[in-house]
Amino acid sequence: MPSVTDPALAPASASALTAPAAPGAGPPAPSRTSSVAQRSWVPAVARGGLLGSLLRSPKAVVGLALLAVFAILALLAPVLAPGDPSTIGDLASEAPSASHWLGTTAKGQDVLALTLWGARSSLAVGFVVGTAATLIGVVVGLAGAYFGSVVDDVLSLVTNVFLLLPGLPLLVVLAAFLPPGAATVVLVLVVTGWAGSARVLRAQALSIRGKDFVAAAIVSGERAWRIMFREILPNMASVVMGTFLACVIFGIGAQAGLEFLGLGDSSVVSWGTNLYWASNDGALMSGAWWAFVPSGLSIALVAFALALVNYGVDEVTNPRLRGRRRRKASRATSRPVATPQAAVTEVTR
Amino acid sequence: MRFVLRRLGFYAIAFWVSITLNFMLPRLMPGDPVSRMLTQSGARLEPDQVEQLRRLFGLDERPVVEQYLSYVASIFRGEMGVSISRFPTPVSEVISSQIGWTMLLGLTALVVAAVIGTVLGALAAWRRGGFLDSALPPVLVFVGSFPYFWLAMGALYLFGVTLGWFPLRHAFDVGVVPEWSAPFAANVATHLVLPALTIVLVSVGGWMLGMRNAMIATASEDYITMAEAKGLRRGRIMVRYAARNALLPSVTSFGMSLGFIVGGALLTEVVFAYPGVGYQLLASVQALDFPLMQGIFLTITAAVLIANFLVDLVYVRLDPRVRVS
Amino acid sequence: MARSAVSRRAALALAVTTAASVALGACTSGNASGTAAGAATKGALLTIPREDMGTFTRNFNPFSPNALPMTQQAIYERMFIYNPVKGEAVPWLAQTWETSKDGRTVTFHLNPAARWSDGKPLTAEDVAYTFSLQKKVMGGFDYLASAKAADAQTVQFTLSKPFSPALYELGQQVIVPKHVWEKVKDPAKETNPTPVGSGPYTTVAAFTPQSFDLTKNPNYWQAGKQNIPGIRMLAFAGNDPANLATTNGETDWADQFVPNIEKTFVAKDPAHRHYWFPPVGSTIHWQLNTTKAPYDDVRVRKALSTAVNRDQVVKVGMSGYAQPADCTGLSGGYNTWRDESVAGACSWTKFDVAAANAALDAAGLPKGGDGFRTLTDGKPWEVRISVGSASSDWLSVANVIAQNLAAVGVKARVDSKDWAVVVAGYEDGSFDTGIVWSNGGPTPYQYYRGVMSTETVKKAGEKATENYHRFGDAAADKALAAFAATSDESAQKQAASQLQRIYDETAPVVPLFSGPEWGLYNDVRFTGFPTQDNPYATLLTRGNTAVLVLTTVKPRA
Repeated sequence: MPSVTDPALAPASASALTAPAAPGAGPPAPSRTSSVAQRSWVPAVARGGLLGSLLRSPKAVVGLALLAVFAILALLAPVLAPGDPSTIGDLASEAPSASHWLGTTAKGQDVLALTLWGARSSLAVGFVVGTAATLIGVVVGLAGAYFGSVVDDVLSLVTNVFLLLPGLPLLVVLAAFLPPGAATVVLVLVVTGWAGSARVLRAQALSIRGKDFVAAAIVSGERAWRIMFREILPNMASVVMGTFLACVIFGIGAQAGLEFLGLGDSSVVSWGTNLYWASNDGALMSGAWWAFVPSGLSIALVAFALALVNYGVDEVTNPRLRGRRRRKASRATSRPVATPQAAVTEVTR
Repeated sequence: MRFVLRRLGFYAIAFWVSITLNFMLPRLMPGDPVSRMLTQSGARLEPDQVEQLRRLFGLDERPVVEQYLSYVASIFRGEMGVSISRFPTPVSEVISSQIGWTMLLGLTALVVAAVIGTVLGALAAWRRGGFLDSALPPVLVFVGSFPYFWLAMGALYLFGVTLGWFPLRHAFDVGVVPEWSAPFAANVATHLVLPALTIVLVSVGGWMLGMRNAMIATASEDYITMAEAKGLRRGRIMVRYAARNALLPSVTSFGMSLGFIVGGALLTEVVFAYPGVGYQLLASVQALDFPLMQGIFLTITAAVLIANFLVDLVYVRLDPRVRVS
Repeated sequence: MARSAVSRRAALALAVTTAASVALGACTSGNASGTAAGAATKGALLTIPREDMGTFTRNFNPFSPNALPMTQQAIYERMFIYNPVKGEAVPWLAQTWETSKDGRTVTFHLNPAARWSDGKPLTAEDVAYTFSLQKKVMGGFDYLASAKAADAQTVQFTLSKPFSPALYELGQQVIVPKHVWEKVKDPAKETNPTPVGSGPYTTVAAFTPQSFDLTKNPNYWQAGKQNIPGIRMLAFAGNDPANLATTNGETDWADQFVPNIEKTFVAKDPAHRHYWFPPVGSTIHWQLNTTKAPYDDVRVRKALSTAVNRDQVVKVGMSGYAQPADCTGLSGGYNTWRDESVAGACSWTKFDVAAANAALDAAGLPKGGDGFRTLTDGKPWEVRISVGSASSDWLSVANVIAQNLAAVGVKARVDSKDWAVVVAGYEDGSFDTGIVWSNGGPTPYQYYRGVMSTETVKKAGEKATENYHRFGDAAADKALAAFAATSDESAQKQAASQLQRIYDETAPVVPLFSGPEWGLYNDVRFTGFPTQDNPYATLLTRGNTAVLVLTTVKPRA
């Protein structure tokens, strides 16, 4: 008899996490609150004022506060729960008590310590994935929109193919070839996640590319990269921000999913691995809900906080969403761009 | 027409890239199906039996180019080969015996989520600041923030195990003979509730917000003001003027989501032991069953491309601007 | 414009629905029985979950590596069945058997009552035919020169060399009917949808991708043993959903891994729910790549083994379900072979941090300034422990070992990847260390051959399918040859003792624990399952002894 959990018996899979986002959809983000179509061009006046305006949105403030709490808890993990959180102890499957606020796992590990330490890996991976995927998206999207013609055709084709790509085998192959670790997870998620953001950012950049001030810049002989990054990019700050937030949500959720399926690095403590072990040790079956709930709830709260911030960004940059009744605003972009719903239904399964 | 042809060209290239990747990926993966089987059987096979198995499965030893050409040719003949992990069952048979359940589950969840979400979104946008608009979206977004597997397992234990309201697994009761009858349909329906409901829960928020935002954008259009000025009833304006046009992005999303139902409900199938093709995909990847894996990907890719192409066609009809640009 | 959108969407949806219905129709093949699920005791089928098959595909071909569960248990039968707990062979299709003095002829005498489910008698011709077919289709039995039917009930196997383990391999081959299989064009590719077998439950009464029912063989040759109406197999995509059915009391007999079994399973109905995990599975090893330094040094292997806390490994990694291994490497299935003079004096399989530290110091692997040991040349030393990511229990084992190693100043990293990658590393010899299974068989011969015969050691760069750690010992070769050449039990015992001494001396691998043969049952509906007190079989549903259970359990009166 081989191991009780043969390779073929692994509990579940990842295609959902990495399912290609539908073409035309934003990065697979469960809680993107609006689409590009509604994020109309914002005059450069809004530059720099984004954060300030955000702080006036109650939703965004709640979201930012939640994020701050998690970030502080993650940073303080070594202080709040000193020692290696994965140390195997003798008190197995203890219910929450004064000595173990969130109980212990079937291996006698303190759940609170695991959750606190887990935040470090989960948040770090999420933000790194978000940053990297957004950066690639910005470069590809801007280049495509600015240069147009052949460059755009090629970049669009690559983007669309990546969107259609079956993510699971790509993931398994990459995970197989690369040494296990956070870097691999990040790389895999960036490779499977960048195309969605590129698509959204290209659409937005394209609409700004057509504005008069860009034409003026070209005529005045400015260099291409300067126009792209100094003229166009600042004017789509809100979309970049929204894409970034969506990518972070994707990163955190997908990392958790990957690890839950045992495709991540199981020796690292993160929310995903916590859930993986909880499920493997039969936490729900034996009624040890405390091993299962904290990490899942943490993922949900962070994703929710990010969604709230995204909400806030929308309201700040899109007055129509803020106003109570129909308020006149500039026309939406000409071609309706698909909302990310298709992606939403994918990712979440 | 030119637009349609351009799109067709794109899909042809995308399809080619997909099938080529589909061909390459398994060949990049280390190990082979036979040694994979060894890890499962605990190495009870003799070395010469291993060789025998490799021959039996027809693991290709030809040059890669030759393999590639015959692979492409077999795709156009519609042949998907014989599954290795289910040897000697043909891939097409494995897929066709299960894809129906996957589509039933995916389609039910998609339609329910899209319809409910869109209606809620339209209502919320129309009554800005009302209960629907202020209370529901945060709740739905919050629910949608949970990892799907977490929510599904929670629902399974709460409604299935603890409360016992719904069956815990499978597409119909074991021992019931599938047939076209009302009792059997009812049986299938009760088994569909939990899996479909969990998908709807996490996805309905997206549909609602999408529709709401599109409605808000539409509501500021001049023709709405015009309609109001003409004194049309508000209900009529909402349904006939605003909602219809705001529906456009949702229709697109719906069309594209259709393409993804085939491979979409994988985690659902695993948690609820639903006999679909999604789990088969993971199993085939893990068993290194290349023919089955490629067959399922091909099916998924084809479904996605076809759905997208149909959306494009619908768009040409719906939005004349597309034809111009 | 909007109208057309709606109608097109509807049409699209309709098209998809139709496609779904068409495919749905294809789901239903074979039916008849309609026994309601969970029916009361009377007429209930013995329900067994299968956690590694998300769906079933109809394939009852016993030669297929992917045959459906119960093909080799309920449909086809063997000449005898080896019970690893008792260490004895139970006569089945054959009543008696003997090996000739020179060890080159093995003769089986079949039970004259044996017949096929189509009513035809099962004869020596069938047996001889089965072996020729098996060799043709699947290979193996390379020592078998010929299989002949001497008369209707007597089969004679001639071996090309004396090879005592052959008896068990021959006796446990499932036998197929010649009159059916000689008409099959390509036996390797046959799916055998309506099997003709000699087993107790051969009728496929219902088949869907999520479950199938096997009911009584109408012509069973031991009709008195068909106590239950039939078997129902359920498909699950993983342990979790299968365990849910099991803990919910919906299965009668199961053998998937159930975590925390006392709490999750037994506690819900202690009077009826039982489990029994006899430690007779193969020994699970921590293998060290002996072609790499420092693992080529037997002192290092023994020191690392001493650093491992096997009790903790078993408690944490295996939930206490397994039995720690000793320095013979033999699992609980070979207790009759164990040489107490060796096993009683084990040193390097006993947990001892001080001894491990001393031994590592002595082997020239001193602790550096950071408290971690370095290699003899002063380079940093990190032990990579490979394990397939899907095997969560072994992953825990590896994690415990890593913690144990840290306690003796050895830096260790658990390298969990997909099994395909892990095994690829094992096969080409590029791995460092890893958790791995071992060869099994009724005698220790196969175990020791796979662990330390030079015959199984592949050269660097060549692909290995066993002996991944690439260790061979000439003395072990001799003892193995002596074992194979004789069918005299005391001579075999002597050779086995010799092998144990060599194993103890050379520590070819680090044995961790005897794998348990999982099994649990719920006797609300059926009684008579094997137990520790009545070990007539193991509780493994996919093992050879399953047919003994199927022909023993009875509906609860």
